[in-house]
Amino acid sequence: MEASLKWLDDPTVFRVNQLPAHSDHQFFKNQEELEAGQSSYVQSLNGTWDFTFAKNPQVRPVNFWEVDADRSDFTTIEVPSEIELQNFAQINYINTLNPWSGKVYRRPAYSLGDDYEAAGSFSEGIDNTVGAYVRKFDLPIDWQGLDVHVMFEGVERAMYVWLNGHFIGYAEDSFTPSEFDLTPYLQNKNNVLAVEVFKHSTASWLEDQDMFRFSGIFRDVSLLALPASHVVDLKVDAPYDPANQQGQLGLALQLTNDADQVQVTLADPDGEPILETSLTANDQWQLPLHDLGMVQAWDNQQPVLYQLTLTVIKAGEVQEVIPQVVGFRQVMINDQAVLMLNGHRLVINGVNRHEWNCHRGRAIMYEDMLADLQTFHENNINAVRTCHYPDQLAWYDLCDRHGIYMMAENNLESHGTWQKMGAIEPSDNVPGSLPQWHDVVIDRARSNYELLKNHPAILFWSLGNESYAGDNIADMNAFYKEHDPSRLVHYEGVCHTPEYRDRISDFESWMYLPPTKVAEYLANNPDKPFIECEYMHSMGNSVGGLGSYNDLIDQYPQYCGGFIWDFIDQAIEVTDPVTGQKSMRYGGDFDDRHADYEFAGDGIMFANRQPKPAMQEVKYYYGLH
Amino acid sequence: MDYTNQMQIIYDDGMLGLAGPRFHYIFGYERAGLESLVVDGKEWLYRVPQPTFWRATTDNDRGNQFNIKSAQWLAADYVAPCVDIDLTVDNHHYDQLPIAPVTNQFSNQTLAEQVEIKYTYQTVTIPQTTVTVTYHVVADGTITVRAHYQGKANLPELPVFGLRLIMPTPATGYTYQGLSGETYPDRMAGATKGQFEVAGMPVTPYLVPQECGMHMATDWVTVTRATTLNNADPDLSPLSLKFSALDKPFAFSCLPYTSSELENATHQEKLPPIHRTVLTIAGAVRGVGGIDSWGADVEPQYHLDAGQDHEVSFQITL
Repeated sequence: MEASLKWLDDPTVFRVNQLPAHSDHQFFKNQEELEAGQSSYVQSLNGTWDFTFAKNPQVRPVNFWEVDADRSDFTTIEVPSEIELQNFAQINYINTLNPWSGKVYRRPAYSLGDDYEAAGSFSEGIDNTVGAYVRKFDLPIDWQGLDVHVMFEGVERAMYVWLNGHFIGYAEDSFTPSEFDLTPYLQNKNNVLAVEVFKHSTASWLEDQDMFRFSGIFRDVSLLALPASHVVDLKVDAPYDPANQQGQLGLALQLTNDADQVQVTLADPDGEPILETSLTANDQWQLPLHDLGMVQAWDNQQPVLYQLTLTVIKAGEVQEVIPQVVGFRQVMINDQAVLMLNGHRLVINGVNRHEWNCHRGRAIMYEDMLADLQTFHENNINAVRTCHYPDQLAWYDLCDRHGIYMMAENNLESHGTWQKMGAIEPSDNVPGSLPQWHDVVIDRARSNYELLKNHPAILFWSLGNESYAGDNIADMNAFYKEHDPSRLVHYEGVCHTPEYRDRISDFESWMYLPPTKVAEYLANNPDKPFIECEYMHSMGNSVGGLGSYNDLIDQYPQYCGGFIWDFIDQAIEVTDPVTGQKSMRYGGDFDDRHADYEFAGDGIMFANRQPKPAMQEVKYYYGLH
Repeated sequence: MDYTNQMQIIYDDGMLGLAGPRFHYIFGYERAGLESLVVDGKEWLYRVPQPTFWRATTDNDRGNQFNIKSAQWLAADYVAPCVDIDLTVDNHHYDQLPIAPVTNQFSNQTLAEQVEIKYTYQTVTIPQTTVTVTYHVVADGTITVRAHYQGKANLPELPVFGLRLIMPTPATGYTYQGLSGETYPDRMAGATKGQFEVAGMPVTPYLVPQECGMHMATDWVTVTRATTLNNADPDLSPLSLKFSALDKPFAFSCLPYTSSELENATHQEKLPPIHRTVLTIAGAVRGVGGIDSWGADVEPQYHLDAGQDHEVSFQITL
């Protein structure tokens, strides 16, 4: 197959040869590796890559991916990083409008009719910057003969991949892993991996988030070697019945090749095995729900985790060992429309959290995550909404371990296509009910679900942010309902389209609704619990009046609390050339126009992770419930 | 001379001097306010204290256009013409300010037990209203300050009301008894009560400089400096001045900048180099709000009605 630039313009093409999304479990060669935490089946490709930058597709280096291409004019770039923060391209912060506003005329393909193809919209876009990445690698000796995949955990925004001159695949969806099979073209030595990253494609309409607009390989890249028999997907069911504190465990595995058996051990928090069994092809690698008797439930106060270990055995040899944490908890809405966790009313003392580092943009560090969790604990923050995209995988693991309730949001925001000058004007809205934009958003829902389904921390799926509502978002809702009855679904944008209210969202959600208006809803026999997926816009000197929201918790059982907007200012620290002082720069400070200036400075933390003065107020009110 | 119950009073034709063993004050007639506050030989004022009405626009203020609706107070904060000065020495009320030839009768041994001088400032608003700032000084040098805002209908809501004292050099720090951290009327529930020591004059590094550093419900604040502008004073030992609440706790901020300076800067590093101390002692502070930053107002109970009187009072003790 040949790569086509036209895919950038076509919303029906969003993954080509990209492997299906699957659970994010780790796999190790043996027990020793597992205990050491270092899998020899994984090799990082982070580091210095050859790189060149082009202002648009027309001037990009074509065929740079060929093995013998002349790349003498290439420079280098660190992976992961943001291209803009390496000063190849202009930095820009813009909120609801698109970064091409006022520069390039665009409307989403098919938004103005079935014959409106918007051909060339992105493939010929004069603003569509291109990063060409090349990385050479040799295979570890003990990988020879194994299937090898490459996994990109985050690339904004559309990427083409070649290996040794052969086209491998194409992917969009910047915030979920893109995995490809390299095996057919793999050599033992001197492999040439080439990646072409376009800043814009039709995905840009779906990723119109309120943030600095970056591009590039901004998350980890890894090679994965697959043992001869490999669990490619793992689904854990861990229902909990609070009435009698009983837990159950169910498993469903997908294997690349049949094994002899998969040994299953579940250990309690003390490390004592409470279940030991094995699965085989005869039971289709499934463990039907198995009664475990009394278990300890997982919650914020006591994030009790059980340890599941799978050992895959083929021809009498261990192929891989898979660790998986299991948390038993039950989240539901009761018949009084009250949000319940493990039989008790659940109050969300939450924050929205963009991934942000004032030097690295969204290519944040593990240390940043640890620091954020520390801040959560110190200030009684018990929940996080992953606005407005899936986060780095480590964040979900950390939230499991630290008992942070997660609203796991899809990578979706099409704000600019339905809200103009503050008014609702959806004449060119996507995804809406357009058939051409159906599969791409379902794919995002599927990726989010398949990747993260085993994390006990996730209590709610969120369909996306500020994308209006139509049949396509209703079908995303249906996807989650079909695949995951154990969790609740949230979507705020349906508040503008009451005709979809029965088909979208288990919650009544209306961001920034003032306390008086929330009370009006709650006082009128609410049929859905109310959650503020964003409230308390903590821009600058703000966070006054949090007490009025707190009062709602005391007055109305159907009030769930909410997620403060937001956790950390998005600003970029530079050294001011005039004063020599460190300076936090925001939109417009890079000659970028149109810009929304300081509007991304809405954190309860400054961009350098120092708390704002309002934090003591958050800590106080969040400590009351 | 026994200063125990009396202080020296120095009548002059453009000002009134008051002196005791540790203090020397000058109340200006031309300068229209307390133009010199010297304690132990060190000057504490750079310019006369002025009523203050403006806070540097917060993001929420901009969002709900409070800065536009109340823009008159920006000008009123900038200039406040004095329209009357009223002097009472002991029990004698002067119908007119004592200047020559009335002052020709006094000497360098003229004494008084207490002096009260009241300045009336006019706001440059439409309609106008007045603020009186009354200084009551007793022989030990204690100054009781009362600033009173005369409510007037049809004026836009106030951002703040208080008195702004600008000191000649930067404070090295301040100590206060009140609430922890930066607080506002609608954001003070999470604060702890106690005595707090602050190094320097921290400006909260909001992305765009704006109103910051307020401390609600304060019993007293002591400001400490180490330097003066006096070229003949090489002494760098710390000097402190205490401001104590009188009838009820006050709010204060102690910053290196006026609200105008904060208002003008788009970034922290655009703020001017630090030269002064700006101590604002406020009797009324508007809430900061927080529902959203694009229109939602501060909750009603945290507005400042300009039709009502507002007041702040405090004592300066040596």
